[in-house]
Order: sequence, then structure tokens, then C-alpha cells
Amino acid sequence: MTTHTTTDANTTPEPFAAEHAPRLEWAKHAPEVWKAMLRLEKAAGQGLEPKVRELVKIRASQLNHCAFCLDMHTKDALAAGESVERIVQLAAWEESRHFYTERELAAIELTEAVTVLTDGFVPDAVYERAAAHFDEPELAQLIAAITVINAWNRFGVSCRLTPGHYTPGQYA
Amino acid sequence: MTPRTTRLDAEVRTALRAVGAAAKRGLGDAGLAELVQVRASQLNHCAYCLDMHLGIAREQGVDGRRLDLLAAWEEAGEVFDARERAALALTEAVTVLTEGFVPDAVYEEAARHFDAGELAHLIGLISAINGWNRLMVARRIPAGGTAW
Repeated sequence: MTTHTTTDANTTPEPFAAEHAPRLEWAKHAPEVWKAMLRLEKAAGQGLEPKVRELVKIRASQLNHCAFCLDMHTKDALAAGESVERIVQLAAWEESRHFYTERELAAIELTEAVTVLTDGFVPDAVYERAAAHFDEPELAQLIAAITVINAWNRFGVSCRLTPGHYTPGQYA
Repeated sequence: MTPRTTRLDAEVRTALRAVGAAAKRGLGDAGLAELVQVRASQLNHCAYCLDMHLGIAREQGVDGRRLDLLAAWEEAGEVFDARERAALALTEAVTVLTEGFVPDAVYEEAARHFDAGELAHLIGLISAINGWNRLMVARRIPAGGTAW
């Protein structure tokens, strides 16, 4: 993961750009917040299938541009048996609906609405579609899972955590 | 207006409260904490959170004019000092991630006014209120309700 090069048959490999260091190792400076976040992570999304949970985490991390979180959750998804194709298509899911179940699509759509609050509210149609596919306790956990990945995204982006070094199960 | 649902896992509620409480303690500035939480709630259009945190700010005795002008803090001149402006700029950048990253200038200005510990807790507080905003808006919890 640390030696990034690209090779071409007839050219010398060109090195990738230099890796950046994090701005702030926030967990070291705020250990109580870190512990509470881990507790929150454990609580949120209980009862949801792992594949839905990872799709939600990847899509929110794409919208929030969290490189560290994308590194983690794409690797976790692959480790949980997710396909490369479904991960690749996720950023354009509206045009590749046939890669996902209706239940997954409802969760992804809700993820977008709850992640992009600054453009205004969560539309009734989006909420109702989610409610049609998830019963009330599941829906509460889905909303919690979306909320928690949004929080992790904020730590990751603000502190500019370095992607590329995650190994599945590292924080389990 | 009735909530879409009031359901929330008890452990999720407790843990998110713990995130916010630890962040607020570590920041060590209760007045600033309310300004940050109100501003994030404005950006995320969370009626419940606005009602709650404006109420707390008023109880703390924050000058009403500062609360009135908070949505336009950049144009409000001396109403907010440099430290508060740095925290509010960071709050906005960390809240509106979907439009792209947290600019170096915003981060560096915050790091000039807050040491690493304060800054880590400030980022924690912004993340926690963003969490509450999402839980309340998604479930459409009305302003002024009891603790949901």
C-alpha cells in the first residue's frame, strides 16, 4: 500500500504523488470522544444486514468525500463478500439500479437525503420508500447508521486522515 | 406536525449524548459550544435542534443580538471575535462536506485560536451536532418536543 506506482509496457514507472500526513490525530487528543464514538458505532446499525450497512457507509463517504472512510468501508465490504461491480456502480446507482435490490436502493436513497441536509430536509417520498422496505426498528437503525458514518466522515475529512493503510478487522 | 417516527435505539441515544458531552467538556467554552451547535443546526435546517440550542444560549445569557446575527456572522463585524469566527468558519466547512473538503485556510485559522486538544473536541462537537441534526430531521421531530 505504501509504494504506489503505475506501469506501462514501454515507459519507466511514474511514481504517484506523495502521501499526506493527517492534520490532527484527533483520537489521541480527544480520547473520551473517541471512546464514545466507538460505542456509538457499535450501537448503530445493529440488526441491519452487513451488505446494506456497508453500501450506506460507502455512499455517505462518497458524498462527503472522506478518503479514509472510503478506504475502510470498500475494504470491509469486499471482505464481507460484496462485489467490486456493486461498489464501483454505487456512485451512479440511479443509472444502475439493476445491480441492487429495491430494499438496498431505498436505503441508498435515504442515505443521500440524510447526508445532504444542507440542501433541505428529507423528502416524504424518500422516507416513505425506506419505510416500505424497512420496519420501524430497522428504519431507526438505518437512520442511526447513516448518522454515525456522517460523523466519522467529519472526523476523517476535518483531520485529513490518510487513506490506504486500513486492513479489514483492524478496529474490531 | 407529527414526527415520522420517534423510535431511536436507546444505546445510540446514550452514546451520541456521550460524544457531545465529552466534546463540550474538552472544548471548555460553553458559550461557544452553543454558537457552534446553533450554526450547524441552521445549515442543516433542524428545527428541533435550533429550538433547543437557542433556548440554552438564552438561558446562558448570550446577548440576543449575537443570536440574531449568527446566520450572518461573516458580515456582523465585531459582534463575534476572531476566535469565535474561526470556530464558526470551521463549523460551516465541516458541516457542508458535500461541497468539498475543509479548506486549509479555514483549518489553519482554527488551529491558530485553538490548541490541538481544543480543536479535536471542537471537531467532535461539530460532528455530534451534525449527528443530532440528522436524527431529528430524518424522523421529523418537531421543535419544542420533549426529549425524543
